[in-house]
Amino acid sequence: MKNTPGWQAIEQWLGAKGLAPFAFQEEAWEHYLQGCSGLVNAPTGFGKTFSLFLGTVIRWINENPKDYRKRTGNGLRLMWITPLRALAKDIGRAMEEALRELDVPWAVGIRSGDTPASVREKQKRSMPEVLIITPESLHILLAQREYPKRFEHLETIVADEWHELLGSKRGVMTELGISRLRGLRPHLRIWGISATIGNLDEALDVLLGNLPGERVIVRADVHKAIEVESILPDEIEKYPWAGHMGLRLLHKVLPVIMESNTTLLFTNTRGQSEIWYHQILKQCPELAGAIALHHGSIDAELRIWVEEALHTGTLKLVVCTSSLDLGVDFRPVDTVIQVGSPKGVARFLQRAGRSGHRPDAVSRIWFLPTHSLELVEAAALKDAMAENMIESRMPVILAYDVLLQYLMTLSVSEGFEPEEIRKEVQSTFCFREMTNEEWHWCLSFLVSGGEALQVYDEYHKVHLVGDRYYCTSKQQAMRHRLHIGAIVSDAMLKVRYMTGGYIGVIEEYFISRLSPGDSFRLSGHNLEFVMIKDMTVLVRKSKSKKSIVPSWNGGRMPLSANLGMMLRRKFHEAMAGKAHEPEIVILQPLFELQQMLSHIPRENELLMEQIQTEDGYHLFVYPFEGRLVHEVMAMLLAWRISQLHPITFSIAMNDYGFELLSDQPIPVDDTNADELFSVENLTTDLQSSVNATEMARRKFRDISVIAGLVFQGYPGKSKANRHLQSSASLLFKVFEDYDAQNILVRQAYNEAFFYQMEEARLRETLERIRNSKIVITFPQRLTPFCFPIKVDSLREELTSEKLEDRIKKMTLWQ
Amino acid sequence: MEDIRYEMKGGHWRLSAGKAVYWEEERALIVADLHVGKAAHFRKAGIAVPGNIVEEDLYRLQQLITKYNPQRLIVVGDMFHSSANNEVQYFRIWRNQFPHIRFELVTGNHDIMDPSVYASLDVQLMDTLTLGGIYFVHDPKDKPVNGGGLYAMSGHIHPGVWMVGNGRQRLRLPCFYFGVEGAILPAFSAFTGTYCVEPGEDSEVFVIGGTGVFKV
Repeated sequence: MKNTPGWQAIEQWLGAKGLAPFAFQEEAWEHYLQGCSGLVNAPTGFGKTFSLFLGTVIRWINENPKDYRKRTGNGLRLMWITPLRALAKDIGRAMEEALRELDVPWAVGIRSGDTPASVREKQKRSMPEVLIITPESLHILLAQREYPKRFEHLETIVADEWHELLGSKRGVMTELGISRLRGLRPHLRIWGISATIGNLDEALDVLLGNLPGERVIVRADVHKAIEVESILPDEIEKYPWAGHMGLRLLHKVLPVIMESNTTLLFTNTRGQSEIWYHQILKQCPELAGAIALHHGSIDAELRIWVEEALHTGTLKLVVCTSSLDLGVDFRPVDTVIQVGSPKGVARFLQRAGRSGHRPDAVSRIWFLPTHSLELVEAAALKDAMAENMIESRMPVILAYDVLLQYLMTLSVSEGFEPEEIRKEVQSTFCFREMTNEEWHWCLSFLVSGGEALQVYDEYHKVHLVGDRYYCTSKQQAMRHRLHIGAIVSDAMLKVRYMTGGYIGVIEEYFISRLSPGDSFRLSGHNLEFVMIKDMTVLVRKSKSKKSIVPSWNGGRMPLSANLGMMLRRKFHEAMAGKAHEPEIVILQPLFELQQMLSHIPRENELLMEQIQTEDGYHLFVYPFEGRLVHEVMAMLLAWRISQLHPITFSIAMNDYGFELLSDQPIPVDDTNADELFSVENLTTDLQSSVNATEMARRKFRDISVIAGLVFQGYPGKSKANRHLQSSASLLFKVFEDYDAQNILVRQAYNEAFFYQMEEARLRETLERIRNSKIVITFPQRLTPFCFPIKVDSLREELTSEKLEDRIKKMTLWQ
Repeated sequence: MEDIRYEMKGGHWRLSAGKAVYWEEERALIVADLHVGKAAHFRKAGIAVPGNIVEEDLYRLQQLITKYNPQRLIVVGDMFHSSANNEVQYFRIWRNQFPHIRFELVTGNHDIMDPSVYASLDVQLMDTLTLGGIYFVHDPKDKPVNGGGLYAMSGHIHPGVWMVGNGRQRLRLPCFYFGVEGAILPAFSAFTGTYCVEPGEDSEVFVIGGTGVFKV
């Protein structure tokens, strides 16, 4: 291998720069050149892009040793799938630089939602040799006539940041897209690049499906040094017990920012980033021009500008959300600040890796707690990182919504032959367990609308022409192309100045609550709402001091199991006086108060608190397992209690514990507590207790949009289709009542049970509790532990009373 | 489907959990927002909602007609969802069972078919209807009551309310809403959502929960 002309050319090129390839890069090249597929596991900043990209260049030079410097217009060779548009530019730039220096006249193209129409048109006529593309854009290509021609020369697919796509429906889109390309080009080599996750082997299986031939995992054996520093409040007694903003520690962050070259400040939500941006500018007006905001609702051009400016080092600070999570290589960044809990070890590591973006540099990350107890999380994160306890990403299986969308995609372009596509679909990891009946249901859902044909039915979508299924309605085809994707957000409206000038996008839900004249913040601007016209929000600059910050929905990540375990250990250590981390030491007064009012659970204890307030009777339980597990556990417990006598609960939870609140005393004491957590009859109790319908309804929201059932309107054309508007919850209701066999409804229930309820994890938790000692206390007032849960306003419900009886006890909300 | 008796403006009314009102003095059954043809409209556009909703809706209307034996059916708007489709043909057949009952449609924003279609379905069209001191209208915002002490009865908004209880319980239910100037009826079709209204001081609200109607 090493004496092939391509390999030599690469070595010489690197050598001229005084560099040599990393061992894992050479390993990857070798496997690639031998015809293998596989996965490269490397952290960002270690040349992971080149480990695969240069492999394809070596191959090209080897195959064309004489004229590789001259040949242009060679067709698409390498497709590079990336989860984030922001990454595409960066990677493209690095590739172009290498190609130029190597004197290989390949073109590198980018295809994403941001690609201008003129560039797309050009790509239609002649594909670049390398195409960097998002999963959505790949499907949009598949939705175009004569798409097979574009892939005639395709040899390699690389899925970059595969760990990001893996656990999502965008990962399923990638799997399906690859299955089609494999159908066209059976000898494709398929590679992924992934950061370290708990289930790398599975990640490889998901990417490759049943691809025959050898598969390898290449590991970059490098260790990156990471230092975590918590920002501690001066007086812990005065730091809030609940909250998620953290602004009280702003003054302590400013010196850190000032002393750094470039800082990334990560927040967990877009709303939070707007507020931080605004507050920092208020405190340090001199930073104007050197500080920027980056989140998903900001104008694409502005985001690109921010990314450019990060490269050139002209920005002092960028306030951002997960929009900057992934592997963009911003060399000038030397400081990262995390506001609030990152909820998982992997995400924290990834964010820390944004600084010191060079193999030998130390990554430093500052942790800023938004409420006191979050400091324990910082200590837990440190330990988890030291022990390399990194979460797994569970792949999505049997996502029929994505399959229906994909089949529609194929029917609007070249049509599809059902047997051929069935085999391809079943070759993926996601659909390997799909039965033929389920496949036929999907087909008939597209063809006849899912149920027995009635005489007066006019359902019309996809039908058989010869032996292929096509969609012949131009209108439906156009609508479908605009709807391709698996990221579902609320209807978004563009925001524009009256005088022209695009600012960004905002959720319709938020704007619907404003009246003309109200002020709100977006992209750091203070704006006055004037009116909505043609799906665009028209605004002017506002001078108002008071403005509302949009609260974007979503973004509440649950605590991972790994971090939960670490948290319990930390509390235990704190109790035993073994803790020496500054985060735990400073919390001592809070622990003492908790101990005085109630109790601090040790690692082998489960704490329950019964408190009475003017709201009613509260029962707090603290398993430290993350909000998803708590939600289900709370339902289970509520149901088991409600079997004792008719009672209705309102349920709230956070990552540490949950609350049952009732208008009657809750009959739980040390005589029956053990039974309530029993694993006996767990499955049956779960089925009767969990409000599966409600959970499924929530899951159905995304499913209905992805499957094309909820029509969100064309951009700029709101009125023409008014009669086709409906909400996902209404559709769920009518499917439940009138078409219970619907596979999408079933999928919604499955998603609720497997992904949300995490039954397996719940069982483990109950086993753990069974071997623990249950401690019940009766505090006279709210404790530091329970306070953040009590103030949470997102609530669930469980009842064993009759609807009629409940209505009689209730009053109208006014 | 239970109902509840209610006296108002000198008349005797029965509010049914079937989402309809029966006016005893006038022997009139009143409903709002039937949206016949909605599911078919969706299905025609390739959105596979269940096709049997209209049958269930019209079956419930049939049960109400059988129970109250009205002389007239007043629909306060949005009887049909959109342009004519095969569900409208289904309605035609269903309609033939009740040749003796007058169907009166106070047109709503969705009632956009050609007047000849309504004529062929034996449905009388009117902008508004005044009967015994009650002013029937789809959306009183568009066509306000013009004096004369009339009380409006309308549809259009698909009213619902939030109910709250101790322990932070919440329920969202469709309702009959009787305000100072007029009443709003719940949407009849199962393929409709609810819009939550904020009840005023002197209003009366009846929620529909399960098979019962409850004054709240």
